[in-house]
Amino acid sequence: MQDERALPVSRKISSWRQFKAILRKDIVMELRTKEMLTSMGLYAILVLLIYYVALSQAGQGFDVTRIAGGLLLLAIVFTSMLGLNRSLVHEQDQGCLEALLLSPIDRPIIFFGKAVGNLIFLLLVQVFVVPLFYFIFLSGGMATEHTGPWWMVALALIVTSIGIAGVGTLLATMSVNTKGKDFILAVLFIPIMFPLLLVAVAALSAVITGDPEYVRIFWTMLGAAAVYDVIMISAAFALYEFILGA
Amino acid sequence: MSDFALEIENLTRTFGVRKALDGVSFNLKRGAFLSVFGPNGAGKTTLLRVLSTLAAPSRDSSVKVLGYDVVEDAVELREHIGVISHNPLLYPDLTADENLQFFADLYCLENPKERIDELLEAVELTHRRLDVVRGFSRGMVQRLALARTLLPSPELIFLDEPYSGLDPHASDILDSLIAGIREEHTFVMVSHDLEKGLSLCSDALILARGKVVLFEAAENIERDEFSRIFREAVGRGVS
Repeated sequence: MQDERALPVSRKISSWRQFKAILRKDIVMELRTKEMLTSMGLYAILVLLIYYVALSQAGQGFDVTRIAGGLLLLAIVFTSMLGLNRSLVHEQDQGCLEALLLSPIDRPIIFFGKAVGNLIFLLLVQVFVVPLFYFIFLSGGMATEHTGPWWMVALALIVTSIGIAGVGTLLATMSVNTKGKDFILAVLFIPIMFPLLLVAVAALSAVITGDPEYVRIFWTMLGAAAVYDVIMISAAFALYEFILGA
Repeated sequence: MSDFALEIENLTRTFGVRKALDGVSFNLKRGAFLSVFGPNGAGKTTLLRVLSTLAAPSRDSSVKVLGYDVVEDAVELREHIGVISHNPLLYPDLTADENLQFFADLYCLENPKERIDELLEAVELTHRRLDVVRGFSRGMVQRLALARTLLPSPELIFLDEPYSGLDPHASDILDSLIAGIREEHTFVMVSHDLEKGLSLCSDALILARGKVVLFEAAENIERDEFSRIFREAVGRGVS
């Protein structure tokens, strides 16, 4: 190179541009490798298959709608843990996380970029899993006919997924440098997500069973889930720099 | 603006009870080329990690790089430094072009396309710009890593064993690229290769057990004496 500074390299740091760059990079890489989506999708199918086997001898009188909210959420939680781990392992490859950390970028922007990417992938898997779940468990003989509106189920899953992606991204970052990162993530993830899972199951169950009080229960539980999301994502935002520097 | 690229006073960094760096102090002028030598575990990589803001020094340390405090002004400092490591710090599933575009966006460079074209040409990778990095040879990856580092035109470049694993062609390209930008930049290179390190440097530093054993301008270094000090410090001969 004759004169490396011949072209002036001007810049104006923009957090929005940096956020978009991280998000776009994650989406391009995933569309190219399909690693996360394929593994999450296949894992979800396996979980549904296990549910089917477990419920196959439940008998004619068993109403699966009473536990459908919990089953659906469990499938999503298990699937998300797999995806969350993979999203950070990508960054560890060839020291890419270090490259991100060497850039003039505020750490919370990295958090938001990774968390929004994880949320998108999680929702994409749900677009496939939820209809499959409905087809297997709620459209046949195991379900009664009093299911509430499906937009409410979708809304509950979106609010829950925001919490899973936010908290999960923080915990995946904490565990990525540890030995047995899958185990560490699960050990941290489930207890911290416990309050969100409880209210999300309550909201989903109320809608799916078509409980007479389902509208009131749904909005109360969804409100609690939203409060959880705000508190935990704010905490993750504040802690991310410390976690990355530790 | 300070004349010094590095102003280091009592730099200490501990891992548990072990001191990876123990009271390191020296100053380095802007435009210098510092080669850092020492055995494995001497603290060379830790020194680079602290200087490049990847690790924080202990509280009683004072570390300024290009006049920026490595803790207080870390984000601003990162705009002005670049790192070439034996790890390429590139995404293997992105193309060469996508990798450089991504880092151009992180540094918020204006007119990144022209800059990317210029650098890909300089590292002789224009013809592979649309190929994913996973298919590149080690030498090509390292050349692309060099382009990534030079993308924001950093004032100070850290080189962590940059010649490690390079084929002779890639090594020649790296030599010529460094020579081409030598005048306008400050370099800090960690190396196990005494010959290479001494041939490039304006100043040399020997670290052992986290302490400075020798810090000297190259013009004052007598090769045999340097080799003797190096052997004593690290318990290893020089080929």
